[in-house]
Amino acid sequence: MTLAQLPLDSYGSGSGAGGRGARVHASPPENNRPHPSTSSLHGLDWFVFFVANVQTGFGPFVSVYLTAAAWTQVDIGLVLTIGGLVALVGQMPGGALVDAARSERFVAAIAVIVIGANALQFAAWPIYPVVLTAVVLHSAASCVLGPAIAAISLGLVGPEHVGERFGRNARFASIGNGLAAAAMGAVGYWFSPRAVFFVTAALLGPALLALAYIRPAEIDPERAHGGRAEQPPQRPLSSLRSPTRLRPLLIFSGCFMLFQLANAAMLPLMGSVLTMRSSQWATVLIAACIVVPQLVVALVSPWIGHRAELRGRRPLLLLGFAALPLRGLLFAVVHDPYLLVIVQLLDGISAAVFGVMVPLVVADVTRGTGHFNLALGIVGTAIGIGASLSTTLAGYTSDHFGSAIAFVALAAVAAVGLALIWKLMPETRPGEKLLIA
Amino acid sequence: MRGQPRWAVALAAAILVAGTQYSAAKKDDRHKAHPAPSAPAAQTASPPAPAPPSRPPANPQGAPGVQPSAVVVEKQEVQTILGKAVRSSAGEDMGRLVDVVVDREGQARAAVIDFGGFLGVGSRKIAVDWKALHFSPSDPQGSTITLALTRDQVKAAPEYKDGGPVVILSALGDLQPMPAINPQAQEK
Repeated sequence: MTLAQLPLDSYGSGSGAGGRGARVHASPPENNRPHPSTSSLHGLDWFVFFVANVQTGFGPFVSVYLTAAAWTQVDIGLVLTIGGLVALVGQMPGGALVDAARSERFVAAIAVIVIGANALQFAAWPIYPVVLTAVVLHSAASCVLGPAIAAISLGLVGPEHVGERFGRNARFASIGNGLAAAAMGAVGYWFSPRAVFFVTAALLGPALLALAYIRPAEIDPERAHGGRAEQPPQRPLSSLRSPTRLRPLLIFSGCFMLFQLANAAMLPLMGSVLTMRSSQWATVLIAACIVVPQLVVALVSPWIGHRAELRGRRPLLLLGFAALPLRGLLFAVVHDPYLLVIVQLLDGISAAVFGVMVPLVVADVTRGTGHFNLALGIVGTAIGIGASLSTTLAGYTSDHFGSAIAFVALAAVAAVGLALIWKLMPETRPGEKLLIA
Repeated sequence: MRGQPRWAVALAAAILVAGTQYSAAKKDDRHKAHPAPSAPAAQTASPPAPAPPSRPPANPQGAPGVQPSAVVVEKQEVQTILGKAVRSSAGEDMGRLVDVVVDREGQARAAVIDFGGFLGVGSRKIAVDWKALHFSPSDPQGSTITLALTRDQVKAAPEYKDGGPVVILSALGDLQPMPAINPQAQEK
């Protein structure tokens, strides 16, 4: 709780992590209890941070860079579509690969090195085959990197405390994204769009350094994949197929698909409405609309992780899902640009719940299966499908019926997701005995 | 599917470049229209390179028999434009030029610029009148493209969409009706 309430400075002193370590020891004794060291925990913090930095470089700057390199819009669109497809299709194989790996650190290191090399490729040769290869490899590496970070987290702290850990990951990822977007935006503006990719590649160094601080001995490979030593090897995936696990997993995937179907296009749509309404301040307002949710995520994620361990997942899921239709409706009726930025606070709440709850609930559901990362890949695929359809849905609706109706339609989709969570999603928090501490 | 548009673009660009070089050379007699020994670097780039061998000739009536000729244009006289930043006359950032719209005769009618937004969020492609663009290849700061419209004037412009009618924003006409376009009522 104290950790959650301390804002961004909880890292520096080291007392925050120490306090949590003490709490781990105070828990009821159990065999094979995780004892993550401060070095490992801080290493993970910064690894998440630098990975977020690196990934930001690949986000919006690809399109800007290729445009500046005199690529046609057709080619840029094609390359990005292929990259998106690979990112979607690769989710499940990526998760399965991480599940099969015995050293998550090694997998993560390889993925980061590949991404760094891709950034250099981009910067050096903006020609079609090179860029296409880089985009495909980057998508594939990202499919591995996300699950690897989740696995390292789970392997380090164990399922009882992984909620807080995921909260902390979300905080550092959000800060990393925000700072990197600002810094790379400045680099792109003052130097060149190409320089952004050199910076991205250079961030490979600190990311690997942070990874080196995570002590491999403290990552229990069984724990990291949601498995336990008691689990005898059976037919592949049989443990995941049992109805008590599969049902919540599928409900959860479906709900989050609806979530992203409603969520992904909301900010871009609002951005284009803002560009139409205000010229002087549009850029600043859109920047604020991107930054405000990031700040909220950085502030509240650890609290959400902690709260999820204390009171359960359902109330927070409902909170995150309720914020989304409300936001859609407010976007439809609010016209004052400055109020819109305030409405974006809701985006932060949804995003924080999303960032913490996806790995956490999947970890709950797959406890004792050894398929944590594969299941994460299944949910990731569902989310990816929702996100890619979202733009189409929003674009079509706003072209034909106007942006207000489009916002209402997105809100309606989100409301269906909320209703499903309310009606169908069970509480997945492990039993009370785990929370006595 | 993917080889086709690139070849077409390359071919169109080659034709465009060849055309501009030709016309620029015709109306500018300060430059020698034929092999100028003073500029060997530019010269080597010019010969019949723009004719991809595997394609049917772009001008079927003349290509095989006509001797290709080379034109040398100083770099202060011409510039490439795709992907270049566009600024308003007041110096505002107007985005990048991403495409050119031509009519049946091949005359450039409009430029498509990717306008506004931040980090890719909220940016929109809009078509602006070709005549509203001013090119200054000789600018020592690096070639720039200036648009005779301000951000305020283009902010309400409808999005340029491939395949639909193109709404071209002009600097010459009266722009008063533009802000009245209600983004919600804008059909198709």
